[in-house]
Amino acid sequence: MELFFNPFDNLLCILLGISFTVWFTLLLVFIIVPAIFGVSFGIRRLYMKTLLKIFEWATLRIERGAKERNHPLYKPYSNAIIAKEDTSLEEEIKEIRRSGSNRDLESAPEFEMSDIFYFARRGVESIMDDEVTKRFTAEELETWNLLTRSNNNFHYISLRLTVLWGLGVLIRYGFLLPLRVTLAFTGVGLLVFLTSVVGLLPNGRVKNILSEKVHLMCYRICVRALTAIITYHDSENKPKNGGICVANHTSPIDVIILASDGCYAMVGQIHGGLMGVIQRSMVKACPHVWFERSEVKDRHLVAKRLSDHVEDKSKLPILIFPEGTCINNTSVMMFKKGSFEIGNLSSKFGMVNYLLRMMSSWAIVCSVWYLPPMSREEGEDAVQFANRVKAAIARQGGLVDLLWDGGLKREKVKDTFKEEQQKLYSKMLVGTQEDRSRS
Amino acid sequence: MGALQCQPGHPEYVDLAEKTGFSFEQIGILHKRFKQLSHNQATLRRDHFNEIPDLACNPIRSQIIEAFFDTRNFHQNGDGTVQEIGFEEFLVVMAHFRPPSLHMTEDQREAVRKEKLRFLFNMHDTDNDGTITLEEYRHVVEELLSRSGALGKETAKTIADAAMLEVASISMGHMEPDEFYEGITFEHFLKLLSGFEIESKMNIRFLNMDTSTLCK
Repeated sequence: MELFFNPFDNLLCILLGISFTVWFTLLLVFIIVPAIFGVSFGIRRLYMKTLLKIFEWATLRIERGAKERNHPLYKPYSNAIIAKEDTSLEEEIKEIRRSGSNRDLESAPEFEMSDIFYFARRGVESIMDDEVTKRFTAEELETWNLLTRSNNNFHYISLRLTVLWGLGVLIRYGFLLPLRVTLAFTGVGLLVFLTSVVGLLPNGRVKNILSEKVHLMCYRICVRALTAIITYHDSENKPKNGGICVANHTSPIDVIILASDGCYAMVGQIHGGLMGVIQRSMVKACPHVWFERSEVKDRHLVAKRLSDHVEDKSKLPILIFPEGTCINNTSVMMFKKGSFEIGNLSSKFGMVNYLLRMMSSWAIVCSVWYLPPMSREEGEDAVQFANRVKAAIARQGGLVDLLWDGGLKREKVKDTFKEEQQKLYSKMLVGTQEDRSRS
Repeated sequence: MGALQCQPGHPEYVDLAEKTGFSFEQIGILHKRFKQLSHNQATLRRDHFNEIPDLACNPIRSQIIEAFFDTRNFHQNGDGTVQEIGFEEFLVVMAHFRPPSLHMTEDQREAVRKEKLRFLFNMHDTDNDGTITLEEYRHVVEELLSRSGALGKETAKTIADAAMLEVASISMGHMEPDEFYEGITFEHFLKLLSGFEIESKMNIRFLNMDTSTLCK
């Protein structure tokens, strides 16, 4: 009996050994080595293109299937109670006037009593339902990407689709997930190990260069661990030493995405556990700004440490996410004057859960824009400067600039918004006044 | 009433539904909204309204907010303003913006129309003397126009005066040179806006709720 099993055992062991070696060689050649040197084979982009083609096909199939059965496909926002029309001020007021008077519309529209209908209605509409509540529900995707979690209406449509979905699950959980987890562990492990090693060197140019290389390499491995396909725009605006880099915060992995393209000094609270270990070893190699929990509450201490860091021109630029909470990627919330937290874990799930979901999905595709530097102008106070920066960020990303901060009641800013509507309305009237004076 | 037959565990909504004409689901959603605006307290105050960002853009924001605290709009023959309102008052004021239902008689429609116009009238008539004086009217016009830029303060004033004059001429016919026009009474107001389809222009379209999800 023993003789019977041994050869098979041996064979099994040999096979396992070979596959592991092949696995790790592939890993090394295609992922780790490029990460060290910062080059890319373009595999991820090819992967992305293939995936997109498959998703398009899948979505078309679902839509066709749904149409055949008269199924309502996309669940409407359950928070919306009213249907807001997207007409402009001018159109609406003209509509109201048209319905009222029998006068010839070509004649100059002057101020009419009925104009107030429009504003009253809009006002009450915004009391009933405003944009902010909608911001916190996750964006529902337009195409289906073979993940049940993104399409609530997945019913059985066809055999081919189900097979494809099953295949997708297999690939994602059986191949991609282990691959990514291995990479993640490698990346993090290398980061901790190498930064500790670099930390042993005496302070000097060599140490800084090495630490930069080490940080970049490990972050790049982590980026590959998430299969993140990132496009960097306007890299000439990348922050230089002694500055502050401000970014909007859409998910806890923003840090990794930004840090894999440049070296930053992080700002944040010291956590316990694995995060704490990582933070402590990182700070050995280059000066990050980590705060104890008690220190975070002391605003002056925070501000002083940050300004000390910034003034030292030899130190790396600071990376700040001033918002404090994650939004669902369509808008930029209020920048708080004194809040600095990276990787704020206030999402519904825990960090591990979140990472697992990330790693078992297909890929992350994102773009990073570097905006030209801004500095505070004469006579601008901190809040106005913050708002100006925020508006620039929102404009670049095509996001909606939201001014929502429960505590902020600065009349100056609010008046500017009110002025916009007033200006629109007045322009409508004045334009006509000029016509009248001419005729 | 004939709206929904099932009552998903909110008996207090029955009264409200009857009073305001909203359906149960709409009341439920508005209640959620009320709690959100009031930060889960039982009453709303003016500064809760000030926190709504979309409302900040509206030129007549303060008038709209005042309308919620104006007891004349609560249909209880009240007078003056209050400092805070409960959910019932919130709903009653909102109900001014409900569209008239399709099964209404002419009289009912007329009543709805009058109610909406009364709401607008109250918004102009801030001192509650039953007339909109020139000052009050001018104030509203100025709120709507821009204080800087396109129009100067003087132009805004002229526009308001011209509009007021027109109103006077329509309602009083020909006026003697020394006759004093006190202001627009509610009857004049109704006459002025008799042509406008206020039922359709001053209402908010509510989405049809999926009732099947609520009735189990």
